[in-house]
Amino acid sequence: MRALIDLIVHNKHWFVFLLLEVISLVFLFSYNGYQKSVYFTTANDVVGSTYNVISGITSYLHLQEVNNELEATNEELRKEVYAMRQQLEAIQQDSMKRPQALPLRYEVVPAQVVNMTLHKATNFITINKGEADGIRPEMGVVCSRGVVGIVYMTSRHYSIVMPLLNVNSKISCRLRGSDYFGSLVWQRGYADIAYVTSVPRHAPVKKKAIVETNGYSDIFPPGLPIGVVQQVGDSPDGMSYFLRVKLFTNFPTLREVSVITNYHSAERRMLEEMAEDPAKQDSVLNSQEKQKELEEKKNNLSPDTIR
Amino acid sequence: MNSIILTRVFRLLILIVLQVLVFNNIHLFGYITPLVIGYMVVCFHRNTSQTEILIWGFVTGFISDLFSNTAGMGAASCTLIAMIQPYWLNLLAPRDSADDFTPTMITMGFWNYILYIILLMVVLHGCFYLLDAFTLYDWFLTILSIAGGAVLSTLIILFIELMIRARKNITTH
Repeated sequence: MRALIDLIVHNKHWFVFLLLEVISLVFLFSYNGYQKSVYFTTANDVVGSTYNVISGITSYLHLQEVNNELEATNEELRKEVYAMRQQLEAIQQDSMKRPQALPLRYEVVPAQVVNMTLHKATNFITINKGEADGIRPEMGVVCSRGVVGIVYMTSRHYSIVMPLLNVNSKISCRLRGSDYFGSLVWQRGYADIAYVTSVPRHAPVKKKAIVETNGYSDIFPPGLPIGVVQQVGDSPDGMSYFLRVKLFTNFPTLREVSVITNYHSAERRMLEEMAEDPAKQDSVLNSQEKQKELEEKKNNLSPDTIR
Repeated sequence: MNSIILTRVFRLLILIVLQVLVFNNIHLFGYITPLVIGYMVVCFHRNTSQTEILIWGFVTGFISDLFSNTAGMGAASCTLIAMIQPYWLNLLAPRDSADDFTPTMITMGFWNYILYIILLMVVLHGCFYLLDAFTLYDWFLTILSIAGGAVLSTLIILFIELMIRARKNITTH
């Protein structure tokens, strides 16, 4: 017994070593899967507010680029307004009356990037808006140029976004003007290049075609620009195209982003989850009731949000 | 005793600030990022209690993780080099050196010191980037980041070391 205790005391650093390594790995793995460990990330309030101060200072350094970008967006929007006005005039001259266009079905919350990594395999962006501003996981994040990523976890005042530049990110997309869709993935290396996989071989694909969101998922509305095809290649199995895409979003200088807050439909997701899980299908009625209750509760809480 | 702890806390703060504000933003050729927090472990003198080094290493890695969204990766790698450091220092220290021999460029000699740092840095970056990639799919890129990061960090640590020596010379004269 004594010998055993001696042994332990003599080699205690090995036990401390194992203990600390186990703790680290627990952090590593629990962080990757769950939202409860948000306190060990930059979404933690203390770290987040530190970054807020830092980015307040560093954002001055990028003002010039931000200005240029805004200028460019303005120019584009002006052109679009012009084109649409012309279209409108053309339509009004027509004897046929066109039904009024549907109003935009989504609202955005503007936010600033306070921290970001670009060089790792699993990159994340921290933004300075959180649950208090109505942001929830799996909402889409865009910037003036195009799609940025998807909200991954949230705390009260900060959120972590999984950008397109993450090997785990997968966003369904299509080529503008055609209905063939694929999924956008990223491989470690460049901060402005991503790849579109599983576009069928018979789809007409050209260089310089624009890749946009297809609206199949309830995260992004259809038609948001993602990038432009730079190179057309074949996938390793030869069954589909493998397109190299230059992303519109300029991640290294990204500051201002918008989170799409109400495009997300909880009901639809619940339905799809149920369809995937046969065990849950019996309880469809149950959960529909639950959903109704939940909605009622929400409505009671904030009657002014209903329009 | 207290002054030693104060020095370490001070060193820890400076290294974290440097790592988070400066070095985390360096991506040489897009994949080389130095982890200078390893300098914390490099500095421990011989015959420091191993438990102490381990805990300091872990805390350094952990705080840096908080700021860089790398939960657990920095902590695991810093703990690993904290485990190796005493054995490696013993191996490289001159025969007739004192019990509390402190590893510096002057006490160890230039080449020995570089050898001492570079192994620790290779292990640190190796552990960090393997945990980051977690597969050997991109093995070439991973190896490039490990080698590049280790070399760059070694250079930065040499630079820091030179600056400290220069300052000390000024203050003693």
